[in-house]
Amino acid sequence: MIQVFDLNVEGRELFSLSFGDIVPYFSVYTGALAAFVIIFILIAIFSLPERQVNIAFGGDAYYAKEVNVPDMRFSRFMAIACGAATLGAMVTGDIFNFTLFAVMVGITNIGIVAASGNRHVLNAAFQYGIVAMLATVPLFGGAALILATTGSLSIWVLAGAGVVPLLAKALLVLGVMGEGIAPLYIGKAEIIRAQGAPYVLMIHFSSLLLFLRVIEIVLVI
Amino acid sequence: MITPFHIGLFAASLCILVTFFSFLKERDDLHKLILTDLAAIMALFIIALVGTDLAEALILPGLVVGISKLMALAEIYLVKEGIQQKKNSTVLDIEVLDTAPAILAAILVIYGIVLSGFSGGAVAGLGIIFYLAFKKHDEKFELIETVSGYAWVTWIAAFFIFLIFPSQWFLAVMLAGGGILLKVMAKFSLIGTMRGDPGV
Repeated sequence: MIQVFDLNVEGRELFSLSFGDIVPYFSVYTGALAAFVIIFILIAIFSLPERQVNIAFGGDAYYAKEVNVPDMRFSRFMAIACGAATLGAMVTGDIFNFTLFAVMVGITNIGIVAASGNRHVLNAAFQYGIVAMLATVPLFGGAALILATTGSLSIWVLAGAGVVPLLAKALLVLGVMGEGIAPLYIGKAEIIRAQGAPYVLMIHFSSLLLFLRVIEIVLVI
Repeated sequence: MITPFHIGLFAASLCILVTFFSFLKERDDLHKLILTDLAAIMALFIIALVGTDLAEALILPGLVVGISKLMALAEIYLVKEGIQQKKNSTVLDIEVLDTAPAILAAILVIYGIVLSGFSGGAVAGLGIIFYLAFKKHDEKFELIETVSGYAWVTWIAAFFIFLIFPSQWFLAVMLAGGGILLKVMAKFSLIGTMRGDPGV
């Protein structure tokens, strides 16, 4: 039987913890991703928010926007929660848990910009939220198809067996696209007009890492 | 071979198509918000089709993340459209807590009286905590103190009956059960008055 760590994607085994058939594991690949997430959670915890500066068009004038402390506190909390959800998605060895963490990343992404009073930002966040909500259909659908065809959701068990249908893999990737909004840069560009630079950064970061992990999962199972 | 799973999958796909098509047509943001719930339910429908114990265990977390996302979106919609009625003063200041406490408290108190004894007092007390914590009106501390005092007397009287007239044990049990119900309920209900207001 082929093990997870025999596959080229994963690299060397660092750690694995056997909970019945669900096995959380760290290979060099997922271990590196998890380390990156922890670094960015620490950045979100310790960094101070930016002061946005607007430059008046056609002149030398510029003015700094006011930073509302309670709103920034909420954004910081949501950024840390987003980091925690991303960390969960990196560590988990279960496909359904991965989809749940992906949805939680989508929720916290909305939360990070929700405190912003800017109407354009809120509008973009709302439209993005609707896309993320629709993305639960392919996400959960993909996981359900994997469960129906193979009888298992464990990445460890399914690794290298090649029994997962291509459609289920495609649905998983499609769902992560919806949650991570990386392809929907038009909506995202408006969202990141929200102030509070280190926290808004977490939106990009979580979507990037979700993609890296879902590619690993799709190549392994 | 066509199994019920395939028929269900076909039906679900049809529903999903209808949902996504309606998204193409719909322009109103509020209606879109309601349609997203339809899509989330369809996702759960596909999981439910698998029909194993594991699939059943996946429904609840799926439902929870779907609902939490819907609530977050609804909140964004309220702020975006500027139709928030009032500024939220506390974390728990949400609409349902203005209407639900009276009904829930009544159900819990009645169920607590039926249970009687310590667990009954805990259940009824929980109902009163819930009522006092979310209904903003002045507490009648004197009433709670008086009830608590009588409850204590009843309890002690029940113990005397146990010791002096052991043949009347049933009356003593009833008195002690009722007493401790009131005592625990009164103690519990005080928690509901701790709203962090000055002087309480």
